[in-house]
Amino acid sequence: MSTEDSLTKDSAEVPAADGAAGAPRRSVAARVVGRVGGGVAQVVLVLVALFWLVPTLGLFVASLRSNQDNGSSGWWTVFSKPSQLTFSSYSSLLGKGDFVDSFWNTVLITVPATVLVVVIASLAAYAFAWLEFPGRDWLFLVVVALLVVPVQVALVPVAKLYGEIRVGGFHMFGSIVGVVLFHVAFGLPFAIFLLRNFFAAIPRDLLEAARMDGGSEWTIFRRVIFPLGGPAIASLGIFQFLWVWNDLLVSLVFADTGSQPMTKWLQSQMRQFSGNIDILAPGAFISLLVPLVVFFAFQRYFVQGVLAGSVK
Amino acid sequence: MARQEDAPPPAAAADAAAGGRRGRRGGREGLNPPSWLAGGFLLPALLLLGFLVVYPIVYSVVRSFFDASGDFNGLDNYTGVFKGHDNLVAVRNTAVWVVVAPTIVTIIGLLFAVLTERIRWATAFKLVVFMPMAISFLASGVIFRLVYEQDPDKGVANAAVVAVHDTFAGKTAYPGAGPRAGQDQPVRAEGSGDGVPVVTTKPVEAGGSALLPLLRVKPEYLPDKPVPARTAPAAKPGQITGTVWFDFTKGGGGTPNAVDPTESGLPGVTVQALRGGKVVASTETRADGTFTLAEVPPGSYTLRLPKDNFTAAYGGAEWLGSTLITPAIIGAYLWVWSGFAMVLIAAGLAAIPRDALEAARVDGATEWQVFRRVTIPLLAPVLAVVLVTLVINVLKVFDLVFIIGGGDPNASVLALQMWTKSFGEGDQGTGSAIAVLLFLLVLPAMLFNIRRLRQERK
Amino acid sequence: MRISRRLVAAAAAAGLVASAAAACGGDDGDKGGASGGTELKGVKIEVAAKWTGPEEQNFRKVLAQFEKQTGATVTYASTGEDTDAYLGPRLEAKTPPDVAILPQPGLLQQYAAKGQLKPLADDVVTEVQKNFSPYWKDLGSADGKTYGVLAKAAYKSIIWYRPQALADAGVQPPATWADLVKDAGTLQDAGTTPFALAAASSDSWTLTDWFENVYLSQAGPDLYDKLAGHEIKWTDPSVAKALQTLAQVWGKPDFLAGGLAQATKTKFDGSVTDVFGSNKAAMVYGGDFAAANIATTKAKVGTDAKVFAFPKAGGTAPALLGGDVAVAMKDGKGAMALMKFLASPEAGKTWAGIGGYLSPNKNVPPDSYSDPVAKQLIAQMQAAGDAARYDMSDLAPAAFGGSPGKGEWEALRYFVQHPSDVKGTQQRLEDEAAKAFK
Repeated sequence: MSTEDSLTKDSAEVPAADGAAGAPRRSVAARVVGRVGGGVAQVVLVLVALFWLVPTLGLFVASLRSNQDNGSSGWWTVFSKPSQLTFSSYSSLLGKGDFVDSFWNTVLITVPATVLVVVIASLAAYAFAWLEFPGRDWLFLVVVALLVVPVQVALVPVAKLYGEIRVGGFHMFGSIVGVVLFHVAFGLPFAIFLLRNFFAAIPRDLLEAARMDGGSEWTIFRRVIFPLGGPAIASLGIFQFLWVWNDLLVSLVFADTGSQPMTKWLQSQMRQFSGNIDILAPGAFISLLVPLVVFFAFQRYFVQGVLAGSVK
Repeated sequence: MARQEDAPPPAAAADAAAGGRRGRRGGREGLNPPSWLAGGFLLPALLLLGFLVVYPIVYSVVRSFFDASGDFNGLDNYTGVFKGHDNLVAVRNTAVWVVVAPTIVTIIGLLFAVLTERIRWATAFKLVVFMPMAISFLASGVIFRLVYEQDPDKGVANAAVVAVHDTFAGKTAYPGAGPRAGQDQPVRAEGSGDGVPVVTTKPVEAGGSALLPLLRVKPEYLPDKPVPARTAPAAKPGQITGTVWFDFTKGGGGTPNAVDPTESGLPGVTVQALRGGKVVASTETRADGTFTLAEVPPGSYTLRLPKDNFTAAYGGAEWLGSTLITPAIIGAYLWVWSGFAMVLIAAGLAAIPRDALEAARVDGATEWQVFRRVTIPLLAPVLAVVLVTLVINVLKVFDLVFIIGGGDPNASVLALQMWTKSFGEGDQGTGSAIAVLLFLLVLPAMLFNIRRLRQERK
Repeated sequence: MRISRRLVAAAAAAGLVASAAAACGGDDGDKGGASGGTELKGVKIEVAAKWTGPEEQNFRKVLAQFEKQTGATVTYASTGEDTDAYLGPRLEAKTPPDVAILPQPGLLQQYAAKGQLKPLADDVVTEVQKNFSPYWKDLGSADGKTYGVLAKAAYKSIIWYRPQALADAGVQPPATWADLVKDAGTLQDAGTTPFALAAASSDSWTLTDWFENVYLSQAGPDLYDKLAGHEIKWTDPSVAKALQTLAQVWGKPDFLAGGLAQATKTKFDGSVTDVFGSNKAAMVYGGDFAAANIATTKAKVGTDAKVFAFPKAGGTAPALLGGDVAVAMKDGKGAMALMKFLASPEAGKTWAGIGGYLSPNKNVPPDSYSDPVAKQLIAQMQAAGDAARYDMSDLAPAAFGGSPGKGEWEALRYFVQHPSDVKGTQQRLEDEAAKAFK
């Protein structure tokens, strides 16, 4: 892992400066203290970083050992006996139709849920930011209020509601559509809130100019707002993607065997923990690989999203 | 990872939002599109929110006044949440979670944010600590089930705890070993319980020899290549000799209290000669279990194998036992969420004007005083936002408890209880009542959000 | 206990039986081809059971035979640990699976009372009567209607042991409780901890199984039935006697791997790997289903892991059974056809040939079993005849007999921690039972 490399490499170096530049007046003693303090901080942080990496590493190594090895010794013994490493758990897991299906279900749930939230929230956010209509501020307050509603409140009622919706052979309860719509609905308040703030910051003149040119609101939305909103939309998309990908509770209630995502499938395998490590460890690792790739690829947007959603 | 409904209050909402739009608006009103158009833009969002969020809230509130089979039962569902052992445990755990988890996460976040300020590889560090935010609670749960495995040979947490413990406490030679039960044995346990000393039943004269047979020696503590025990050579005057050995012939059949040919000696056992309760001489056994206590004045002695030889091996903490399970799950939560607090607080720190800090330093304040008196107050709004966000999130914590707790009622929290009651026990009335309670608990945060939004708009 | 919810011998299997299974597989193919039915062509049937891993694979093979015979398409769904939690929402939304396999008869009663089950069709009932003893049929019935087919049995009157450990200590597998205690002492002298006990709150069903074996052995089947139905109280002297007997093992922390602190924390799978994975103890209680756990270690069932009959603590040789009951949750000929298939000796034979399986079906001959341990167990089980009893805790309301951290589970767990408090334990048991049996 490159992060790890850079951690160890940098840690050997002396800190650049004790607490920022601009401290010319501080005494030599203070600087020495600062430098020593910096050194201590470095060591502490290296340890903390290791502490943060070890659990995931443990999962990864465990996924590369046989059930028998995991049952008789700790994963760290691979460092003295690398011969334990094997891909057999992965190959047998990937040979399981259920697991592979659940992987695709995760994709089939996550991608539409993400796209729909972005599209629907952008439309609404545009309306809240740039269109005049009665009760606008009041309605926006309602959306903000809904930000904190716990999903638990909706589980029982929506299960009932979905149970009623049957069209021909299609049944909303247990379908991918049902899971997706639930995720979209609970993703909307945050999405609208985030995007509206961003859209509202777009210079008014740009819009006015477009309106003067006779562009319809739809054109303005498509040509001006949507492209300018890029960074915010990226943040939102990543958030929603990770949330839906990682969800367990919603699919536990609304998905059935045919539509279950990886999380639910893995949960159903937890009956017997240590006996099933050869399924759970590689399964959990595969399930976290995609989010990690997304995270490292787009971490800038992810962090921006966190910041924009809270403090400036 | 971060659930978006947890989104923190709209601190910033705002300033961007407003930007004094209103004032400038007047003259160009004519350009604005008709308001029905807004309806079109809003329609999909409002439909979904209405059917899947707002209507369910109303339904849950109503449902919570009816029992499992649908008969009206007033507030019974609500009072039921606080009755019965399991329910109370869930309520207590939720309280512990809400008080402890956000506080510690915020403190850790603050600590990391401050420490990383001076570090060149801060970005790498932040990535590492922030990374778990991208991992599902399910995967984190699996990760920590592995970490918390009880057996120190398998679980990394206990492996570390035991390693540290053994470094300081020293390793016991033969945990659990002891004398044969019954009267008239050559040696007996002094007292009862785990890890008590073993003493000779009859006194031993200086110049004499003694046999000290032990049983219950676990194979893993025997030497890799055991040396057969020998009867100690006769003692010279001023010495006491003897043998400490494992008096069990593999496969059975040995003579009790006699050194049989295949029985192995126990090396490294501390042997003391006692007279009047005082240790006169002390030594350790050799590979074949024999020992020689030298320079023993004439007289009779009790030989003692002190309890350090036998104290039970330390097996680590019971992470997932009934007492530690909630703290252990909170530990996993810290691992996931500390990065969130760190990133927010670091951003807050970066926004603090350097001048304010310098001014304080010039005035002769120590670094600690600067931190306490200047940094913290300036950070207060950020800390509040972090705390509120975490409290809301913690109230809903489900997956982690579900996965790591594995159904242990000692770990339960309200959010999990809601699911168990509604879908496990089929009591949707109680489930709805718990859901409504959770909703009520987040209401202050909701009002906080709304107030802030309104203030910033003005 | 929820034996049932635990695996089942399954895997034991895996290695031992692989070749036999392969051979059987061939046979099945031929038979399937011969009868080669298409009467259910295009019919889709969903079956839900808690099995995962090797148990699931074995069951799928049995289902495959049904598919071949009838032309139906069967999908399998794993319910995870808590079958009720899985079925609950699906029943709520009125989309249950066609057939569910319940780990406890208690659940059958619960669903039947709510009208969520479909009674068996007449021809299926006939099939059940032909192949199962009345005791088993009653277990699948509620209010005079038959709903369930006992699809799979678990035999719980055995103790698994590590032959090497017993040989090193020079002891033989015990036949009586007194010998068990004596052997435990010798094992301990030899430096081997005698037992691994799974007394974690989530797995205290093992404790109820210990108790039931001792109780059935001492008090006999009649009192056993009375206690199971709460017709006598848990404060009965017969219960005190059983507890005092158990205290001879449970009450000695030195007998338990890791001592008391560790035992009350050990889960079932951990207790099995303590014996066969890390050699920390010599014996462990576990039904035939423990073979699946043993398969996760390097020990081989039959050579490194053997069983002896649960020692007699009184006049009766205990024969305790558990089992999984199949029920139909939806109408339709597909569901009933599958139920009939599961009740047939044919399904039992196929399954027995694959391994990891014991059949409650009396028309499945011992020869059908490919696995020598299974043969030994089925012989024991059939020898017990009418004295065999179903696991008491699985018959009790879940709040008493089937819930971690409460009821009988927790009361016996309390007893492990306070082995001298027989009276207090009895009182706890009675209080909990009185609450649950209303």
